[in-house]
Amino acid sequence: MSNVKLDGTPIDVSGNFPQPGDQAPALTLTNQGLEDVSLDTWAGKRKILNIIPSIDTGVCAASTRKFNEKASGLDNTVVLVVAADLPFALGRFCGAEGLKEVVTLSSFRNYSFQQDYGVAIQSGPLAGLCARAVVVLDENDKVIHSELVDDIKHEPDYDAALNAL
Amino acid sequence: MTNVKRAGEPIEVSGIFPQAGDQATEFTLTNQALEDVTLDNFSGKRKILNIIPSIDTPTCATSTRKFNEKASGLDNTVVLVVAADLPMAMGRFCGAEGLENVITLSTFRNYSFQQDYGVAIQSGALKGLCARAVVVLDENNKVIHSELVDDIKHEPNYDAALAVL
Repeated sequence: MSNVKLDGTPIDVSGNFPQPGDQAPALTLTNQGLEDVSLDTWAGKRKILNIIPSIDTGVCAASTRKFNEKASGLDNTVVLVVAADLPFALGRFCGAEGLKEVVTLSSFRNYSFQQDYGVAIQSGPLAGLCARAVVVLDENDKVIHSELVDDIKHEPDYDAALNAL
Repeated sequence: MTNVKRAGEPIEVSGIFPQAGDQATEFTLTNQALEDVTLDNFSGKRKILNIIPSIDTPTCATSTRKFNEKASGLDNTVVLVVAADLPMAMGRFCGAEGLENVITLSTFRNYSFQQDYGVAIQSGALKGLCARAVVVLDENNKVIHSELVDDIKHEPNYDAALAVL
């Protein structure tokens, strides 16, 4: 169980959050074409998992967009935005429009992702959603950077994620 | 396993769909305020469960809106629109705006609803979503009408639902 807050109030988040040096757990998630995909879909690429509670929360900071733009502009790198929103809703993700290397993925029918990546919110109003986190994988799906954001209302340290690449 | 189609193609739907005369199965679902609610929250009222795959699918017929308007205008009757969309997305349901007695409820963290109400799509692109259905309950939560729509792309027979109220 990890210690995370929602606007200052502690919430329970379960599962093991990946740490640098770990091999990334396998995942199955659903893309906007309603197809189930795995890490193999981007074999040989570096991956940034930008994990968020919902694309429909008010926070849609310009910094998210900037990060996605910068990260997806890097050589051989794809940004995977992961949330429990249905694939239909993910098309509206504010930080993805027009960015070819930003892919939105839904956990709606593959619940185990939240546990496997240690982001499963277990208590409070957001129970059932993903905690906010960034996980960066190298070409071989080894974790080279990870941050479980301390408060759901905060943004991740994007510079730290970019520095790992 | 029930026979339902999507645009003519057979899909698998699991669980036992409620039939007229049955006592309604208990459920827990999440409202737009992220609160978990049960049938007891609407105790003593007649309930129309308008179960849909997603509020973000293109089908947003005027007839849905008309039905919700008519049904929710009936005495002592509440319309519960149920889907797997996150509560954050439910606000955009085209058939609910401004209708006081139309409430949108999400299955996102209470997966068992789909099984318990026999609407769990198990195959094809929509796997993990609810099949399209209408279930009408009387004041004592007895099922007085139900329709599991034969093809996800079709609309339910709204007149038949209204006729029992």
